[in-house]
Amino acid sequence: MTTYIIRRFLFLAFVLFGVSVLIFSILMTFSPERRAMAYVKSPQQVKDLPIIVKQLGLDDPFHIQYFRWIRQVSSGNWGYSFVAAMPVWDAFWYYFPITLELNLYTIPIIIIFGIWLGTVSGIHRDTWVDHSTRIFAIIGWSLPTFLFALIILMFFYGYFNVFPPGIIDDGFNVWIRENPDQFKRYTYLYTLDGLLNGRPDITLDAISRLVMPVFTQVVVVVAILLRVMRSSMIEEISKDNAITALAKGADHHTIYFKHARKNALIPVVTVAGWLAAYSMEGSIAIEYIFNRQGIGWWLANAAISLDLPVLMGICLFFGLVYVIINLILDILYAYIDPRIRLN
Amino acid sequence: MSKLIETIDLVTNFYTHEGVVKALDKVSLCVDHGCTFGLVGESGCGKSVTVRSMMRIIQEPGKIDGGKVLFYPGNNGSETAIDLLQQSEATMKALRGDKISMIFQEPNSALNPIMSIGEQVAESFLFHRKKEMSQQILMDMDASISKANPLKSILKALYRLAATRPEALILKLFSKTPLLKSWENRLHKEAMRRAVEIIAKLSIPHAQDIARRYPHNLSGGMKQRIVIAIALACNPLLLIADEATSNLDVTIQAQILDLLKDLKQKVISSVLLITHDLGIVAETCDRVGVMYAGNLCEVADVKDLFSEPRHPYTRALLNAVPRFAHEGELESIEGNVPNLVNPPSGCRFHPRCRDAKSICKDAFPESTKVGNNHQVACFLYTEKSREKS
Amino acid sequence: MNKKQHPRIRELKFTLSRIFRNPSAIIGFSLLFVFVTVAVLAPYIAPPKYAHNPYLMPHKGYSQTPKPPSSKNIFGTTSGQYDIFYGAVWGTRTAFKIGMFVIGVALIIGVCLGIISGYYGGIIDEIIMRVVDIIFAVPLLVLTMAIVVAFGRGLDKVMIALALVKWRDYVRVMRSSILTLRELDYVQAARVMGVSNFTIMRKHILPNGIYPVLVMASMDIGSMVIVAAFMSFIGLGAPKGYADWGQMVALARNYIVGPVDDPLKYWHAIAIPGACIVLFVLAWNLIGDALRDAFDPKQRRR
Repeated sequence: MTTYIIRRFLFLAFVLFGVSVLIFSILMTFSPERRAMAYVKSPQQVKDLPIIVKQLGLDDPFHIQYFRWIRQVSSGNWGYSFVAAMPVWDAFWYYFPITLELNLYTIPIIIIFGIWLGTVSGIHRDTWVDHSTRIFAIIGWSLPTFLFALIILMFFYGYFNVFPPGIIDDGFNVWIRENPDQFKRYTYLYTLDGLLNGRPDITLDAISRLVMPVFTQVVVVVAILLRVMRSSMIEEISKDNAITALAKGADHHTIYFKHARKNALIPVVTVAGWLAAYSMEGSIAIEYIFNRQGIGWWLANAAISLDLPVLMGICLFFGLVYVIINLILDILYAYIDPRIRLN
Repeated sequence: MSKLIETIDLVTNFYTHEGVVKALDKVSLCVDHGCTFGLVGESGCGKSVTVRSMMRIIQEPGKIDGGKVLFYPGNNGSETAIDLLQQSEATMKALRGDKISMIFQEPNSALNPIMSIGEQVAESFLFHRKKEMSQQILMDMDASISKANPLKSILKALYRLAATRPEALILKLFSKTPLLKSWENRLHKEAMRRAVEIIAKLSIPHAQDIARRYPHNLSGGMKQRIVIAIALACNPLLLIADEATSNLDVTIQAQILDLLKDLKQKVISSVLLITHDLGIVAETCDRVGVMYAGNLCEVADVKDLFSEPRHPYTRALLNAVPRFAHEGELESIEGNVPNLVNPPSGCRFHPRCRDAKSICKDAFPESTKVGNNHQVACFLYTEKSREKS
Repeated sequence: MNKKQHPRIRELKFTLSRIFRNPSAIIGFSLLFVFVTVAVLAPYIAPPKYAHNPYLMPHKGYSQTPKPPSSKNIFGTTSGQYDIFYGAVWGTRTAFKIGMFVIGVALIIGVCLGIISGYYGGIIDEIIMRVVDIIFAVPLLVLTMAIVVAFGRGLDKVMIALALVKWRDYVRVMRSSILTLRELDYVQAARVMGVSNFTIMRKHILPNGIYPVLVMASMDIGSMVIVAAFMSFIGLGAPKGYADWGQMVALARNYIVGPVDDPLKYWHAIAIPGACIVLFVLAWNLIGDALRDAFDPKQRRR
């Protein structure tokens, strides 16, 4: 078990290194002058570009620049973001809680809903429950997140005028900014901070603005989990050990939920990595459409205005998230499957 | 001897995309109390389907479409017969693993890979011996001299309920709720203790340690012993061994067969042994049934069958067995096993039968008695054919 | 049963009959048929106004507010007075271009590397798979965005960037199906008989191992169109006025909410290109779903 975890750690360190090389290679396709722009903080500095190139050694060989870059990155110097009008590192922490909040709500819903629907669908194979679940899954899977988000916005905000976009009401936002001592930002998550500061109205407002994004994300992402869960449940139910259990005197409920489901979860853990990736991708479109200033919103706007340091930083960040999620999944994997745990 | 289980005209079909596979066509066989019955035949002839139909564990897309499965749990004759096909699923659930249990062909896949051996054996007790175990726990609790506290009295009440009505709603409710379900801990412990006991009984060394392991670190033979332990946990009246030794090494095969023989004498009443190995049949069985393409061709005592095979298929089968004294080429049965979506008309063996007559194509031969406890389904022996010839 | 047919033809017939027993396949293929027809007949259905570049949507006037369907513009016009009908028709061609190019290139790279990696193993396998691991660490959309920003905007750049990222999926699938096939008896037998590596791959491994990849690819055509549409939507892909569904959705973005008295006034500007995307993707997903059921050996002979 320990060697397993150590092996995984080494692998993940390798992946992180690889991602940084990959991103740096993309960065290096730019001319030194354009990269120098990332260090320019005011229009007046533009004429000094050649000096900046020399100063920063932006025409040095690849490996020298790479290690310099890594040193900078690890010390927190990620460049300057025009879109955010602040350094990438600071901007990152400014935007991050918004994305975190969205995913804190969506991921549990996706997991619970996906596993439940997949199990039900697999057990009641080829019944109307199964068919409607499959239709739901395939439609959800075919819906582009940005389009679905627009349509949701069109109906709920445009037509019914409930669930406004944004993160928080402008009035609240101004008040919060002006009264930092009355509204302490404990977690930087509005829904939680509202409660902690005894302002349920703020929490309520934040939640009402989360409903549409969360719903969109769940509908689009849950399809993957559901499909995998369904097919792996079907497979487990028809396996020999399910018949052994039946011959032992187990009822169907015990077989489905005690014998089959835990086995069926093993392949689901493997796709949970994709799930995380899809959630991240989904948050880009969702934050962009619903005007929530999170990482995804920042990334989309940085891409539009060719704000390169942001893209590099976010790629690295997603690499890191991927690595962490995979580590968690590996441990989960070992927890579920004794074949891995004990070898 | 009195009957234990009997099938009458059992019909099972599989509804596949290619058509209806008529896997069993009017199979009637009978296993007596205390008897070891062997069921032989080529692969795909319906041996497994027969026993699975008897236990009603046929999987989709299979369906039992007719016949009766009569079960005589009492030792005193036919008045207590119940038709298993008419019983509710709950009754069947209570019977499976308790009165009738089954060992499977493939020990590697028969065990759940993510449950420990002990848990899997203990499950049998949890399914069928809840009452008994609760009583024992109550007795143990009464015997212990620790002080009474309110928690303990609640626990006692629960076990008292479990000892009388294990299906009570409140117990189910308790077992489903997190935290509250820990009331069952003693039950699980007791089941585990019994599981270790039964594992040890099957002459498996270090039973305590084995119970804690998972299937993937046991050898094939060991796994098969565990499968047997699961099947034997509740001292069944009938043990069905579905090709239980086919996938094992010859030495381990012998060990498992010896074990079964031994257990047969000590614990179980009857064994229904499915195999394609006639050697095993000759060695272990009292009676033999020969199956071909979903039909039962011949049933006889083991000695009669080997000395006086009547059905042409049985004879062909016996001739196809390699023998030490035999010289020259082995005989084989010409032709192929028929596709059961479109089985041959009349006797299903007639296209391959050397003695086939015109009637064999048109009519299905009824089972006829040809000797002491010897039945054959073949027109060579029926009155009708004698009249004709 | 007809025994004279070549077994491969019989198998193909069986597979086809299985595919078309599935209602989702019928819906999927019919939808696809409609899209193919529209794409092929685009010049006749919607004659281009600008001969040099038929993908430019014709527009009359510059008014920002979309106009509802009329006899002149049967699907109405979107912001900038671009004709939605024209865009929907020629956008079909764009969608096919995106899907076919991205998946085609990614398949070629992915399948080749997957075969090499799975069949030879050893150090080559190690190198290829580690590179794949690294590319997998960054979500597709994010990495594509980074590449597009590095290469510059444009639909062609988006397509190249997607192909450069997408191949990673096929390497893994192809490799794992080869790893299982490699150990099968008939491949071992061919090897023992002295059949060359290339022939084994061509005759025994590729025809049997490619199905999972093809199933995946057919579904990915749809998802690639979604990603490209999103890139066009945020303004990294097709330029304004280009017949691309994502770009058309982007044009309508500011008009999802109509005037106060009629909030859904401009629904057509977003619903029509949106429906095109969804139906196109749905067609491929349904086909992929049916193919998967048909090729799945576990479900095949039920």
